[in-house]
Amino acid sequence: MIYYIAAISLILIGIYAVLVKKNMVKIVLGLTLIDSGVNILIVSLGYIQGKTAPIFSNPTLTAQDMVDPVPQALVLTAIVIGVAVTALALSIVIRIYDHHKTLNINKIRELKW
Amino acid sequence: MYLDPVLMIALPLFAAFLIPPLARISKGLVKYVPVLIIGFNLYEMVMLLPHSMVKPVIVVIAAWAPPLGINLTIGPLGNILALIISLVGFVVAIYNIRFMEEEPNEKYHMLFLLLTAGATGMVLTGDIFNMFVFLEITSISSYALTAFLRDRDGAEAAFKYLLIGSLASTFILLGIALIYATTGTLNMAQIAVRIKDVDPRIAIMALILLVTGFGIEAEMFPLNGWAPDAYSQAPTPIGAAFGGIVVKAGVYALARLVYTIFDFQGIFHFILIAGIITLLIAEMSAIRQKQLKRMLAFSSIGQMGLVLIALGLATTRGVEGGLFQMFNHAMIKPLLFLSAGYLVFYSGSKNIEDMDGMGRVKPLLSFFFAFGAFAILGLPPLSGFWSKFIILSETIRNGFIAIAALALFGSIIEAVYYLRVVGRLYFKAPHEGLHVQYVPKSALVAMGILAIITLIAGLYPDFVMVYLKPAAAELLDKTVYIKSVLMAGL
Repeated sequence: MIYYIAAISLILIGIYAVLVKKNMVKIVLGLTLIDSGVNILIVSLGYIQGKTAPIFSNPTLTAQDMVDPVPQALVLTAIVIGVAVTALALSIVIRIYDHHKTLNINKIRELKW
Repeated sequence: MYLDPVLMIALPLFAAFLIPPLARISKGLVKYVPVLIIGFNLYEMVMLLPHSMVKPVIVVIAAWAPPLGINLTIGPLGNILALIISLVGFVVAIYNIRFMEEEPNEKYHMLFLLLTAGATGMVLTGDIFNMFVFLEITSISSYALTAFLRDRDGAEAAFKYLLIGSLASTFILLGIALIYATTGTLNMAQIAVRIKDVDPRIAIMALILLVTGFGIEAEMFPLNGWAPDAYSQAPTPIGAAFGGIVVKAGVYALARLVYTIFDFQGIFHFILIAGIITLLIAEMSAIRQKQLKRMLAFSSIGQMGLVLIALGLATTRGVEGGLFQMFNHAMIKPLLFLSAGYLVFYSGSKNIEDMDGMGRVKPLLSFFFAFGAFAILGLPPLSGFWSKFIILSETIRNGFIAIAALALFGSIIEAVYYLRVVGRLYFKAPHEGLHVQYVPKSALVAMGILAIITLIAGLYPDFVMVYLKPAAAELLDKTVYIKSVLMAGL
């Protein structure tokens, strides 16, 4: 339960940062917070109290003693994707800063509808 | 005779990462790699077509039978869309041969190949998490390509797109997590079987999250703020690829969700209404645009609104019309973008006012633009007419007369702004001092292919409809899809 609360509060903090903050680096930080929140949520979906990692490390272990491995595989993929998106976002932020000399999104509004 | 369909995803990915070392050896060779690889995909899809029309081709990967392993499901719908994606990708790759001459062109070709590979994977995969991964491959390369030109607007458009896109992927991931937690599977066919036993409140929550996420890629109304900026600031061929490739994959995902995976009737009305709002807002914004490529971008959103209306009808003929509209849009919009790219380049300005008299200076180029404009408006012998006609008559037959009237109103607005541009091309005197050069042959070949397909699809619509009918049937009757995937394991 504590994991769910932690994950959902991380997601909400992230969404707050993305929606409210004016500094682009803080917006990107908000995105990574949302990412981490979702990842924790998925891992905790597969967690079962008192079970061990899904590796046959000693012969007495059976599948019943293990947590669900699928969410862990999913999260591993999602983490890698998150890193790629964050890196790309930061490099775009650097490029915007080169052009505008500011990180405040309110001052960079050339493309409006 | 076709090779293993897995190659359609594996080969572009492999070739994409082979491009940087290849560029060390020979700079000139790199630009032919996408043509070759996507040409192979096109060949595969054409060869697979007769097989998948009869029954879905299930590809089991690494001997893990579905529902345990990830499998490719090439049904009529997936095959048609992958064919469209490969065709647009192939044409744009031909156009790229002479378009992207300046450095660092190997990165451009690499990203373009990744974009096509991701979109192809999205429409072929049978696993919902795999679909998410391919969506991310597509969108990360789209973000990078939007910012490719290194100007300030490009970076800004890319940041906006990235922000919306990564929120979308978060929603999708949350939706997938909910589905996995309640059904215990990621295989789309098995989810469709088990979703009946899930608490409807959780199922609706997951559906809302997924529709929001994929709706962003499909340019559904409140979620399409990224589209006009990304289309107009990205290099021209990438604008064409967004319209022909990325959006098609997004709409496919949306259709697969509401028709196959979930069993929830209320969503169709929501999609119908979202479609008409998308159409009207986009057309009204398009008429206010001063820049040619921005106008085309808004028009693209409007066309997607029409597709959403057709999908929201959920009748056989309506879905067929929607798929035909997607096919037409995938052929015509790249034609418009590719010709507009050179019109913008030669007039030296993005504004519509500076296109005056290009019809006299560059007759062939302007002809392609005018041809595309007439086709997308739905002038009777051309293909846009048939799809619009089917969708509108089907809307009226189902009693949504107000929606049909509003859609027609949108079409009139569309006619106004397209004909305004075509009129300027032909009936105004050209500006002084145009630095006109010849248009590269590869670009003309690319546009010619698209124009010929549009013409044939308009003169013989049944030729296309024969293949769209099984695709529509696949969406409306999910039992065939489910059975063929789950039987593959036995």
